[in-house]
Amino acid sequence: MKHAPFSFYFSLRFRLIAGVVVIEIVMLSLLVWSNITIIHTTHADRLQDTANSLIEQIADTSGSYMFEVDYASLHDYLNKVIKHKELSYVVVLDRDENPVVSLGNAPTEQWPTVDLHPSEVDDAVFNTSRSIHVSVEPMGRVLAGFSLAQMESAIHKARVRGIVIAVSEIFLTVLATVLIGLHLTRRLGVLADAAGSVGAGDYSVIVPTETADEVGKTAAAFNRMVGEVSSRTRLLEREEEKSRKLLAENRRLVHASLEVQEEERKHLARELHDELGQCITAIQADAESIRDISAGHDQRTEASAGAILEVSSRIYDVVHSMMTRLRPGILDNLGLVAALKDDISVWMQRNPQTTCRLNTTGQLDKLGERINIAVYRIIQECLTNVTKHADAGNVTIDLTGEIDRLLLRIEDDGSGMPVTAPIGGLGLIGMRERVEALSGVFRTGMAGKGFLIEITIPLQGRTGVQV
Amino acid sequence: MLKVIPFTRTCIACSLLVVGLVNAAVDDEDASCGRFAPLTFGFLPLVSSEKLVQRFAPLVHHLSTALNTAIRIETAPDFDAFIRRTNNARRYDLLFTAPHLFYLARQKADYHFLVSVDAPGMSAIIVAPQQSRINTIRDLAGRKLATVDPMSLATLLVRKQLEENGLDPDTDLTLVSTPSHNASLLSSYYGATDASSLMTPPFKVASPRVRESMKIISVTEKTPHMPISAGSWIDAGCRADMKTALLAMSSTAAGRDALHEAGFKGFAPTSPERYDSLIWAAEQIDTE
Repeated sequence: MKHAPFSFYFSLRFRLIAGVVVIEIVMLSLLVWSNITIIHTTHADRLQDTANSLIEQIADTSGSYMFEVDYASLHDYLNKVIKHKELSYVVVLDRDENPVVSLGNAPTEQWPTVDLHPSEVDDAVFNTSRSIHVSVEPMGRVLAGFSLAQMESAIHKARVRGIVIAVSEIFLTVLATVLIGLHLTRRLGVLADAAGSVGAGDYSVIVPTETADEVGKTAAAFNRMVGEVSSRTRLLEREEEKSRKLLAENRRLVHASLEVQEEERKHLARELHDELGQCITAIQADAESIRDISAGHDQRTEASAGAILEVSSRIYDVVHSMMTRLRPGILDNLGLVAALKDDISVWMQRNPQTTCRLNTTGQLDKLGERINIAVYRIIQECLTNVTKHADAGNVTIDLTGEIDRLLLRIEDDGSGMPVTAPIGGLGLIGMRERVEALSGVFRTGMAGKGFLIEITIPLQGRTGVQV
Repeated sequence: MLKVIPFTRTCIACSLLVVGLVNAAVDDEDASCGRFAPLTFGFLPLVSSEKLVQRFAPLVHHLSTALNTAIRIETAPDFDAFIRRTNNARRYDLLFTAPHLFYLARQKADYHFLVSVDAPGMSAIIVAPQQSRINTIRDLAGRKLATVDPMSLATLLVRKQLEENGLDPDTDLTLVSTPSHNASLLSSYYGATDASSLMTPPFKVASPRVRESMKIISVTEKTPHMPISAGSWIDAGCRADMKTALLAMSSTAAGRDALHEAGFKGFAPTSPERYDSLIWAAEQIDTE
């Protein structure tokens, strides 16, 4: 089965998988980012709560020690407190900001500024402070630093865990999407291939329905549609074959009738020439004898003989004209070009307002009788049409004999005829029939405002329709 | 008119003189105590730190305002530390201590008496729960008696009282030392000891529920009340200003409020020699 080639990137399979993957990646990235933010905030809040709780406890407990100026006990107490894993340092300052106890990695030169929240710390230590009171009496303040290392470690672990979970989920989702996508699109691909086959004319394809899902129902509907199309197409083909045969029969009849017509014309022309011509010649000879005999002594007889000569001469002209129209003898004797020139000359005498030029090129003397008579009749019909309908000033006829074909182009500058107009006259139909009988191509068109006929007749293998 | 003008001039001159003297006095006062700023006011750890601040911080603030000098309130973790800081380190510019400890401070560190609490004097008492079978001091034989710090005047008075009643405080009964007067009172209230000893002022301000559930079985001799003294390095002018300010407290509403918080009516300018009667108690204190 063949189907139209298409880009892989525009395939439903690719778009489905890529869409799901992109959505997964975006959503999971947002989820991971959100979780990390929440984890960061939660840990920071927890550290702040721890710091607040611890420093509050230190401040409360230190109050009595500060009031009692019992720095040794305060030191002992803070020595226990400093063991808290997140407490980096603790410093207790008296009312003059002098350190009375300093434990851990306490700053030595300048007391750090207090941080508002662990998330806003930039030096890995969250510095916080509380004033020490006993009742409402200030006793100093406690300054403590909480290391962010544990918080950062926890956040890092959570981040790694979140990313691992997200990547795993993306991988599993991609895998599931690919498998499901391949399964679904494989069946759609079968449908597409089957549609391609039907498009190519193969109605024997049957798509397996497999399951009762949407794709299965589509496949079943497709099979029904193909069956219906197949039966209708077969019916149509039969009707078309019948029409084709009828048309061929009609054409054969037309061509046969044309052949018969030409044959009859030829026969009639010969009869006129052989029988009536001889008779008229005999009459003329007799009339001349009578005129010569009666000349000078019998004026009435001489006049009657003269009248007979005149009438017979006129009859001869009429008969000659009829013979020419039925079958121009010049065509058989001098060939197509001479016959055309003669005919055109006569036509121009009858239509002095129109100039007709005949241009001939190539070898035109061995075209054969069928082509000669067809071309002659076509040009004859064209000139008749120009006289009747075109109101043209100029008519140009180009006749070109090539090696394998004959080209005829007839163009006038008359009123023309729309190309889309139906061919209503029998003249054009007759022309077309004559050309197609010779396996040629007949075409009409516009030449400026005028009318144009182009005819191509193959010179090799002139089979056509034999009559 | 001619007579009036000289009289008026005299009045104006006198007024200016008085104002000048007053200003000079204020300047002197600033100069006398201001150069010692901030002054450190040491309080004997009679009660917990929290209660000590609650009781005496208003008094210190009032005095600070009156002297226009910053004063910081301080105490010590226990009697022993307080005594050493008083006598050896001379840490406190102003001193509020027990009468027998003032005697020591005066002798050892040359503290100058300023005023004492305006009260007839104070005694130590021994109390026992109402339902207790202990009714006299002799009933304490073989019992457990809660006391305050061994160096406190209450303990020393009780020991003396026991001895005067034929009881050896070290062998005939068990003395249980507690951190404060209130702790001593509560120990027998909750049954940890059979009886409690403490000074009368803390007993009077104890919880009524506790106080009414106790009976007094013995009252010791009276002693002069708590004195306030100043270090000898504080000049006489400043000490006089301090004394004046302390004595004047009861004459103003703010002063009375501060005194009320401390549990005192006021201060009296008694003689420091009154405290010589406590030499027997002072001699029992090991200042080394």
